[in-house]
Amino acid sequence: MAGDELFKQEVLRLAGQEVLTCIQCGTCSASCPTAHLMNPSIRKLIKLCLEGKKEEALHNVTLWLCTSCLLCTVRCPRGIRPKAVVSALKDIAEREGQRSKDADYEQFFLKQIKDYGRIAELALTGEFLLVFPQGAVQSMQMGLELLPKGKIGLEIEKIKGRDEVKRIIEELREK
Amino acid sequence: MKLAYYPGCVSKSTGKEMEASTRAVCAALGIELEELDDWNCCGATHVSNELVATGLAARNMAQTDLEIMTACSICYSNLRAAAQRLEETEILEKVNAILDRKYSGAKIRHALDVILESLAENDERIVVPLKELKVAPYYGCLLTRPAGLYSPEFPTILEKLIKRLQAEPIDFRLKTFCCGGPIFMPQEKAADDIAFKILSEAKKAGAEVIVTVCPLCHLMLDAKQKVLEQKRGEKIGIPVLYVTQLVGIALGLGPEELGLEMNSVSPMAMVERVYERMA
Repeated sequence: MAGDELFKQEVLRLAGQEVLTCIQCGTCSASCPTAHLMNPSIRKLIKLCLEGKKEEALHNVTLWLCTSCLLCTVRCPRGIRPKAVVSALKDIAEREGQRSKDADYEQFFLKQIKDYGRIAELALTGEFLLVFPQGAVQSMQMGLELLPKGKIGLEIEKIKGRDEVKRIIEELREK
Repeated sequence: MKLAYYPGCVSKSTGKEMEASTRAVCAALGIELEELDDWNCCGATHVSNELVATGLAARNMAQTDLEIMTACSICYSNLRAAAQRLEETEILEKVNAILDRKYSGAKIRHALDVILESLAENDERIVVPLKELKVAPYYGCLLTRPAGLYSPEFPTILEKLIKRLQAEPIDFRLKTFCCGGPIFMPQEKAADDIAFKILSEAKKAGAEVIVTVCPLCHLMLDAKQKVLEQKRGEKIGIPVLYVTQLVGIALGLGPEELGLEMNSVSPMAMVERVYERMA
């Protein structure tokens, strides 16, 4: 079956045309701190994109295990930015309305920036726990550690330029 | 010297000691900081659309004509990466079409670099030399990536600063290995695995303290240390300081000014050792 050419072109538009030059050497996978948990590997993920295998490229745990450490990106011998490929796939997944705890977390994060201009960690955590209650144990542990130290911001700070920030998020995404 | 200062969102929450120590150390070194007007979140590692991330950074950078300093490596990396992308006319035009104050170039600096530059060798303001203190220089990822000022694989600026404080940087193999922080909420186990690896390696290498340049690295290694110890059944017990806290101790600043009581693993025993060795 022929691959999804539109999907491939969208990935290339977002992550750079140089992705076409991938030689499948696997330096990205070998550099990745979470490679042992990924499936497909980051190398394979790039191959899926180039083959236009949209479903497989968009629905996997790999996207959400990327820590954005950029080690793949500084090491790629072809000057490809594998992390940018992951970001492109997340961007496409988000626009297509993909739902998962990981995708939701990114959405909540972006929504906070849109609504307030800054991140209020407590509110962000609260919203996330509603979709992923299993995260409550870790959040409690962190809360018990941080609250007595005064390191949980209890107030939501809103900046003045919220309209401008909202425009940045909504309008630049379409370009 | 006067710089614009971008505190970043964590300065109001989990990174309060980063914020306090940055301001205290800069004041002690005569570096004047002017907080960026109405700054917004840089997007951290959670904004997948690069143009949006660039726009968010550009709005911050357009608020000043001064060089911009931040103590957070994530903010630093995002602003730097955006400034690089904005060198392309097409991107600049798209972004400036949206912004109220237009972007026209910026120079971004990390507090680490600003502090090192203002501290001379044998600087007389180092009143508490950190003699014999074994420090693990932990860079994490985003101070040095995307590539630019420092080697993204083997940077040495932290070691240089540690030596200037008369402490001993240890050979720390995982110094540029990711802490897992960006995915710790939705992917707890994966993040815990790699954070514990770093702590365990620091212990093996004989570190008395780990120094960080990023609030997320700090959260993973300090605030989570106790929980990670319990999960893995291995005691670590190594304090984790922001680089600004370590410098502040050497400058003779007090625990309160440096927010030392806000660290999860108390650094006070280490601080006492430093004072004993000096005597």
